[in-house]
Amino acid sequence: MKQTLIVFVQDEPGVLNRVSSHIRRKNFNIESIAAGHTEKKGITRITLVLNEPNKTKQSIVVNSLKQLIDVYDVIDATKIKSHIREYAMIKVLSNESQILDIKNIIKSVNGHMVSTSENIFIFELTGNKNEVESVITKLEKYDIIEIVRSGMVAMVDGDNSQNRPHLKKTEPNWSTFRIMESF
Amino acid sequence: MKRLLSGAEIIWECVIEEQTDVVFGYPGGAILPAYDALTKYRKKIHHVLVRHEQGATHMADGYARASGKVGVAMATSGPGATNMVTGLATAKLDSIPIVCITGQVPRPAIGTDAFQEVDIYGTVFPVTKYSYLVMDINDLASTIKEAFAIARSGRPGPVLIDIPKDLQNEKIEFEYPRNPVKIPGNNIIKKPEKNKLIKAANLINNSKKPVILAGHGILLSGASQEIIKLAEIASIPVTWTLLGSGGVPASHPLNIGMMGMHGEYAVNNAIQEADLLIACGMRFDDRVTGDVSTYSLNSKKIHIDIDPSEMNKIIPVDVGIVCDLKNTVSELLPLIQKKNNKNWFEIIKKWQSESKGRDIINTKTETLFGAQVIRDIWEETNGDAIIVSDVGQHQMLEAQYYDHDEPNTLLTSGGLGTMGFSLPAAIGASFAKKNKDIWVIVGDGSIQMTITELATAVQENVNINIAIINNGYLGMVRQWQELFYDSRFAETPISSPDYLKIAEAYGLDGYRVHSRKEIPSIIKRARQKRGPVVIEFVVEKHDVVYPMVPTGAALNAMINRPSKTKIK
Repeated sequence: MKQTLIVFVQDEPGVLNRVSSHIRRKNFNIESIAAGHTEKKGITRITLVLNEPNKTKQSIVVNSLKQLIDVYDVIDATKIKSHIREYAMIKVLSNESQILDIKNIIKSVNGHMVSTSENIFIFELTGNKNEVESVITKLEKYDIIEIVRSGMVAMVDGDNSQNRPHLKKTEPNWSTFRIMESF
Repeated sequence: MKRLLSGAEIIWECVIEEQTDVVFGYPGGAILPAYDALTKYRKKIHHVLVRHEQGATHMADGYARASGKVGVAMATSGPGATNMVTGLATAKLDSIPIVCITGQVPRPAIGTDAFQEVDIYGTVFPVTKYSYLVMDINDLASTIKEAFAIARSGRPGPVLIDIPKDLQNEKIEFEYPRNPVKIPGNNIIKKPEKNKLIKAANLINNSKKPVILAGHGILLSGASQEIIKLAEIASIPVTWTLLGSGGVPASHPLNIGMMGMHGEYAVNNAIQEADLLIACGMRFDDRVTGDVSTYSLNSKKIHIDIDPSEMNKIIPVDVGIVCDLKNTVSELLPLIQKKNNKNWFEIIKKWQSESKGRDIINTKTETLFGAQVIRDIWEETNGDAIIVSDVGQHQMLEAQYYDHDEPNTLLTSGGLGTMGFSLPAAIGASFAKKNKDIWVIVGDGSIQMTITELATAVQENVNINIAIINNGYLGMVRQWQELFYDSRFAETPISSPDYLKIAEAYGLDGYRVHSRKEIPSIIKRARQKRGPVVIEFVVEKHDVVYPMVPTGAALNAMINRPSKTKIK
């Protein structure tokens, strides 16, 4: 079972490096990673797909990511109802006789043609992992020049307050002065 | 009121604001402006010139452990900074708040492989709690303030700030930022969840064979009194990890001793046979659990720790409370019923009597034994010294034979096991506890790793006594070779310089002890002397630290102390 995590981080130089190297250090494999800005200034949203079947380890990785200073919150999209999607562009070389079939395959997942020049066609499509992969498999018998995939992005269904991320900065309240009292 | 200050001056202004009065460091090209500015702050900051930057980090670490304040170390770019990595990792694994400030090549030169350039900010990601590279002088003060706050808050840890040289020279109208530091996440929970407290209390009230596992968190949280009360009310034996030493006084009747690889037989048995473990501020390190798959299988487990990532990390627990330990236990106490687990203590007593092997500290032997040295130091110092132990056999003997009644009196590298830690850490500690008796307990292998810091000790005339337990071997590794590698002693015999001549060359007093009867008078002499003293104890070469749980074995499958006749 793949684990999809939504990680909200401070938009700082090196933050992607911190998150990915932390995952590597904890000995997990990243299957896909996608990052981008959010509706809030200064906050970046990273969607991580990890290949970790063990449920205990899945919860450990969530907690250990929360340990990072740059991380506001982590949501495990695999545990709640959510929509997990991917964007792909596919460049195909095709002659007149094949192109109709190809267009039909793309249409079946509501994909579009982005551009065409002579016999080179670029299509774009979005969908969950299975949809994107089935299209790629179906196109395998044609002359695919290149494919680019964005990596999975995820959004939680509905607006349940329990699933809303904690996106506020807080004061680190427990300080040395408290430690010093014990000395 | 705004003043025109350079980046270098701002560094010192901010460091002083954090109540720092001593900085351990080593100058160099990229940190020169900061050192130049130091001349203006001499009255408020004492700078200790170390002999190696690793020493600076360990000194800051020792200072932090002994004072509860944040320790500060400073170095130049490149090699100066990379020399700090070991010290940062040591502080990370033991959750010690230190801030390391390094110089960096000027901003335009970053990324060009300039002279003495290393991406230290990126290098230390895995060994720090956080790291900074300051690129705008307007961020400098708030960055330093944030760094100290991060180092000391929650689960403490090391932070590194990398500051380019040209930024240190830049000037701005400066005003210290008074607004509070705010960071993402890190929302430390002050109050434990009520339902979890009730669950925990139920488990404690219904248990017949409970054990408290006391970790470093007790010291960091200052929860000693609360833990003692909990143990006394609910009649629970207390065992501790190496870093939890002193959290509950060794002389307390409910304290049954250290757990783990070199823990007591009765303690490890008690953990394995318990029906409830109450883990307080500890993280189930492999050195205390032994084989995880056989670890205390029949017990319920309560885990109280401030760090959520420790929950279920190694051992699955029934109740996990992520909160400050002191607050949690004090809120838990009213829910606990008074009782007496008399039968349980009788079982433990039986184990204690079964495991009585050789009693080395009360045995007359021809050669001196490490354990005897530790015990005699304990007696001569009335158990009241701050002990800074290094890593190896002497470290375990210290834990077994020096009884600590006060928290924060044993400073040792537990998590990382950094050889060479003790001498610099003791120098650091001496700046925190000027009037305390401070003893370095160190092996002949460990002392040779950071022996250069003797010069620092002499230059600063710090009041420390350095007890070198010399057995001519890397003793702990030798012990493993004897037990698990058919006594093939590959590269463990190690020669030493003449420590009396070393002492003389560095300009301090040195003594050598061969027999036990010399110990009291020499210790007395060393204690009377103000300033550093080296005492070499020449001990039995082939001694082994018992009891011992072999790696990967179950916690109760231990090699016990042999009978008296087995002493060579």
